[in-house]
Amino acid sequence: MSKVLVVDPSLCTGCHRCEMWCSLTKYGEVNPSRSNVYVIRREPSVDVPVVCMQCGLCIDVCPTGALKRDGTTDAVVVDENICTGCGTCVKVCLYGVLRIDEETDLAAKCDLCSGSPACASHCPHGALRYEDAGKAAARRREIWAMAHAVRIR
Amino acid sequence: MWYGFAGKLLRVNLTSGEFKVEELDKNELRKYMGCTGYAARLLYQEMPGGIDPLAPEAKVVLATGAVTGTLCPSGGSYEVCYKSPLTGTWNQARSGGAFGPKLKYAGFDFVVIEGKAEEPVYLYIHDGEVEIKPAKHLWGLNVEETTDALIRELDDPEISVATIGQAGENGVLYAALINDRGRAAGRGGIGAVFGSKNLKAVVVNGRGGVKVARPKEFAEAVEKAEQWLKNYPFASIPSLGTVGLVSLNNSLGILPTKNFQTAYFEQADQVSGETLNRKYQIKRRACYGCSFACGRYTSVSNGKFATPPMEGPEYETVDMLGPICGVADLEAIIRGNYLCNIYGLDTISTGMSIAFAMECYEKGLLTDSDTEGMPLRWGDGEVVVKLVEKIAHREGIGALLAQGVKRMAEQFGPAAEEAAIHVKGLELPAHEPRSESKVLAVQYAVSPRGACHMHPNWASTWDFGQLDCGMKEFGLPWPPAGIQDESSQKGVVYRYVALQGEISEILGACIFYSWGTEGSCITPQLYAEIVSALTGWDVTAAELMTAAERSWNLKRCFNAREGFTRKDDKLPRRFVQAIPNGPSTGARVENLDAMLDAYYEAMGWDRQTGLPVPEKLRELGLEFVVN
Ligand code: SF4
Ligand code: SF4
Ligand code: SF4
Repeated sequence: MSKVLVVDPSLCTGCHRCEMWCSLTKYGEVNPSRSNVYVIRREPSVDVPVVCMQCGLCIDVCPTGALKRDGTTDAVVVDENICTGCGTCVKVCLYGVLRIDEETDLAAKCDLCSGSPACASHCPHGALRYEDAGKAAARRREIWAMAHAVRIR
Repeated sequence: MWYGFAGKLLRVNLTSGEFKVEELDKNELRKYMGCTGYAARLLYQEMPGGIDPLAPEAKVVLATGAVTGTLCPSGGSYEVCYKSPLTGTWNQARSGGAFGPKLKYAGFDFVVIEGKAEEPVYLYIHDGEVEIKPAKHLWGLNVEETTDALIRELDDPEISVATIGQAGENGVLYAALINDRGRAAGRGGIGAVFGSKNLKAVVVNGRGGVKVARPKEFAEAVEKAEQWLKNYPFASIPSLGTVGLVSLNNSLGILPTKNFQTAYFEQADQVSGETLNRKYQIKRRACYGCSFACGRYTSVSNGKFATPPMEGPEYETVDMLGPICGVADLEAIIRGNYLCNIYGLDTISTGMSIAFAMECYEKGLLTDSDTEGMPLRWGDGEVVVKLVEKIAHREGIGALLAQGVKRMAEQFGPAAEEAAIHVKGLELPAHEPRSESKVLAVQYAVSPRGACHMHPNWASTWDFGQLDCGMKEFGLPWPPAGIQDESSQKGVVYRYVALQGEISEILGACIFYSWGTEGSCITPQLYAEIVSALTGWDVTAAELMTAAERSWNLKRCFNAREGFTRKDDKLPRRFVQAIPNGPSTGARVENLDAMLDAYYEAMGWDRQTGLPVPEKLRELGLEFVVN
């Protein structure tokens, strides 16, 4: 089974290193505003990394067919030769994880780094992992359930 | 094209309401590397000696360094450099959070603030743009309220706000600047300086990021650092936060207690990191870009000290609002910390001022008539919390305490001198300079801002572990060749401690991660690799050392111009007396003079005056300081 990115906000310290690694990998600069993972850090005490679910909703709406599913990683990737930067995908993404890059003027999103995500391999606290889809699903169930359990306690 | 740095300095004149953007000169910046080194040059050259730190002519520099806002694992810091109203010396106050990185992403490495606004203002710096905006509606609000109001007003939850609270507005001499609600540029009274300029806050945000000269090489250097730091000798700190030191220091008999009257606290387990974690911790928190994450959120859910989620407390604060005042109630400490955060107070000077008052009360130098009938007894957490309120508002006895220990002691006369625990007017932090910590004693005596455990902060690490921190390459000798006498050895070692620590100061790095040995910390050599790939400058460790020495000498010269010489490099009298009880009974600071002699000599400074000599200054390219 293929692998997916999974997030455990309870382990996230809000360090933004995943964003920095993403921009360094993609653009050769350190710039959280050019990252495909988004860390929402708010006061008091909210630190939540938000990543692309690779759900494919954006593929369906792209008028030029620039968004495609990569055969090996199952990631939804942008074909920069076809993308016109129209932003239709940005509007439809439920998670808000697509953006039009300010320098290239083209859609930018997580492509799972062709199977070796820089963000996950450098997260110092295991808050962001690249895991086997079945294992990730189990982890997501656990996180979902525990989030409610905490509220009950 | 600039790599690693934004390449720009913003100069704001609050009197005229004008600002200008200056391009940095690459050679000049490289000479000092940046951050506090370059800020020292700016302030030395632009601010003549003798200026009142609270006058409009006084200048403030907000400084970032090469590694601020990059992937360097310790790169979350910025420093505020200024002349302290508390001490009259050079001051640099470091803080983490997101402010430093976001200032750089906004397009500026430095902000120089001059003059005084007619009415309250705040500075808004975003994506290369600068606005001086009215802040009358924010004056009188606390740090949380101000931060939230600015997020609403500017409609941007991603901004980073560095603001003063009521303490800074009211001119408390140890008022802090607080960024991101809970991160303090704490020591020396920068909050009062902001207040004197009618400057409520500086707000930053930017989408600029940091350009990297050689991305692949940079990624490799950072990955190497990430690997090495898996062996970091202090890796256990984040699990309990810095508060973990409470138990450790108490078991060694070096936990400052009751205004340093003793160094052992019977009820230490009630205020330990373990207790804090178990009962009050919400989660761990990192500064922007930091992989260590020593910070944490805590709260007290109910009772008279109920406190909403806040960042802290750190070790210093726990000792200062706790054992230093004889207090064993962690809830009172958390509440006190929260109040210091929202009013904008340095928790160290606050705690020490309260402890000083408690000792004076014990000795009868302060009576109920001075305190409006409130007994200042050791161990009363409620009194500590009340005093924090009074200090921030300079109300009643709070107005007295707001001046800090040195000024209070001067008013009380010789009888209070024994209780006045400060160096050059800066209250001591929570590290005992007696016991094994003899190199720390030198640090307290000579650090540019007074009794300082932070700049640089390696002395205690050396005292306990004799870690070389990558300084062997520069000839760190142990024991120093040809020197038999232990005091002299320690004096010589402090030269290495100071210069290694100064490297992180000029790079804008956090002090954590720079203690250890090759393979377990970010040594000067590894910093050089990271900075080289980042800036494209091919910096060597030796070049960093020279820049550090330049910076360290320049800060010494800054103080010399204010009249500070060897005669001021002294410790409170209490430290030549032995620790009375606990595991370190009998320990005291002996032979400070001999240690100082050796240290000045190792630095190439004049022994009599303790000041850099002209040849030394010329050698370092500091001709402009020689007069
Ligand atoms: S690197 Fe990990 S801990 Fe840091 S912000 Fe990203 S997910 Fe959170
Ligand atoms: S960018 Fe949004 S819509 Fe597209 S695959 Fe990812 S989560 Fe789905
Ligand atoms: S997998 Fe790669 S592209 Fe996707 S968020 Fe992580 S670093 Fe960025």
